[in-house]
Amino acid sequence: MEINNISFSYDQKVDQLKSVQGEIPHGKITTIIGPNGCGKSTLLGVMSQNFAPRAGQIILDGKAIPAYKPKELAKKLAVVHQHNDAPSDLTVEKLTAFGRLPHKSLFSPNQEEDEQAVEWALTCTNLLDKRKLTIDQLSGGERQRVWIAMALAQKTSLLFLDEPTTYLDIFYQIELLELIRNLNERYGLTIVMVLHDINQAIRYSDNIMVMKNGELLMQGAAQEIITVELIKRIYGVDVLIKEDERTGLYIVPVGI
Amino acid sequence: MNKKVLSMAVVIVLLIVVTLVSATTGSIKVGSLDLIQGLFTGTNKSVQIIKDLRLPRIIVSLFVGAALAVAGVLLQAVMRSSLADSGVIGISSGAGFISILFVTLFPKLFFWLPVFAFLGGALACFLVYALSWKAGLSPIRIILVGIAVNATFTGLGQSFNYRGSYAVTQVNQATTSIFTMKTWTDVEVIVTYGTIGLILSLFLSSWCNLLSLQDKSAQNLGLHVARARLIISIVAVLLSAIATAIGGLIAFVGLLVPHIARLLVGSDHKILIPFSALAGALLILSADTLGRTVLAPTEIPASIIMTVIGGPFLIFLIRKSDRMYGN
Repeated sequence: MEINNISFSYDQKVDQLKSVQGEIPHGKITTIIGPNGCGKSTLLGVMSQNFAPRAGQIILDGKAIPAYKPKELAKKLAVVHQHNDAPSDLTVEKLTAFGRLPHKSLFSPNQEEDEQAVEWALTCTNLLDKRKLTIDQLSGGERQRVWIAMALAQKTSLLFLDEPTTYLDIFYQIELLELIRNLNERYGLTIVMVLHDINQAIRYSDNIMVMKNGELLMQGAAQEIITVELIKRIYGVDVLIKEDERTGLYIVPVGI
Repeated sequence: MNKKVLSMAVVIVLLIVVTLVSATTGSIKVGSLDLIQGLFTGTNKSVQIIKDLRLPRIIVSLFVGAALAVAGVLLQAVMRSSLADSGVIGISSGAGFISILFVTLFPKLFFWLPVFAFLGGALACFLVYALSWKAGLSPIRIILVGIAVNATFTGLGQSFNYRGSYAVTQVNQATTSIFTMKTWTDVEVIVTYGTIGLILSLFLSSWCNLLSLQDKSAQNLGLHVARARLIISIVAVLLSAIATAIGGLIAFVGLLVPHIARLLVGSDHKILIPFSALAGALLILSADTLGRTVLAPTEIPASIIMTVIGGPFLIFLIRKSDRMYGN
């Protein structure tokens, strides 16, 4: 996926994204980091066709995304949002099956394929034994996994996640990130996510995009781009950057 | 699952019972068996009178109830607010007002009443959307704007009633909801349009389900959100307009029935819509039957019975229920 010179504005006065130029490497995990309000989620929204850019375009498989019909796009790209609504009495299984919508057509019901996809999505997200439970019976971490299961049931090669670990405690955060890595390694899914935790971004992604004030400052592997100067420049925080045999690169904030 | 099946069965049984009771009670009384026999043979005189006078009224009540209840479900799905109802947000009063306006100006076009009602309902619905749209739909703003639109159309409609006896008798049908004097012509109209609307609404159930997610989630699943909203709204307007054109203004059905239905069968529209149709039919038929038998020979209009039951019941539901949109 290519990001071609994207500018975007909510109110047509101030640009939230300023000529963003970048590329999402195929089959890799890309994480967008940056301070609050820098346009991370907005960029993700533009890339998933939720917002129309003021200028520029997003190219997916050689075609600009507005040229896709909604269902065609939904076969290539699935999104897990930060906030989600669903009727509280919906079961895990039924919500996951919503992900089959892009593959449904009035004339060729493909029930077997639908069932297999739902089964696979529930297996990946470790929700098989919870399938009959309703959404309000689940914990926060499980609920987030159901939304991922719904996105997986779409059987896309691209998966976007907007701050998937927010509101989760550390166990569920790590569980979720391991799940995401697993999806990438086993099924070759191309993943783009927004994270706040820089150490998690370093540890779980192949490619990091650094944003500030609506601009994409740089992108690349953590080892190449994460420096003391960069963190100071985008967050205004002084950090130590360490390397450990087991964890690889990590940062420790020491002051502002 | 059991609760759903049980609720469905209970409503169907009650519907049959109330229909039979309604057909056999009143100033002319016949037994249920005589009635059914008479309808097929056509030899029983009382049954013939019932067929001409009471049966149309029963069928109209059933369809008005079903149409209003389903319109309520659809509007609630589209507007993501459990307070949306064609009576509350002005679709019914818009339908009523435009019908009166046109029928007063062009009395010869009386036959086209349903069309005018539909146009009026669509106008009101459009106004509600257009005036409450501000970078997306906010349930609360829709309801507030809807109440204002409703007040405007109700006022305009009532101003016609003060024009003198001519207007009142001519357009009575669209403003009050006494189900007396319903003929087989009314039945034809409401059964035709009502059936179309109800069948279409069954096809819309999966869209309604998707709209209960966030708009952007539904969009990322490949749903054309704006188009789905528009089509569901059109069907909702069709149903409430036809109910208003034939049955008059009846508040609360679209509010009350979906609420009870959600408590009983859950929020999956595949069952919520058919269940609401049956429960709405049951409610209005019961209200009408009650209205014409309690103080016989005086009649209490079904709409009045509905508001009297509806108000307290709604308060009860709001205090009890936690399964609502928007919280």
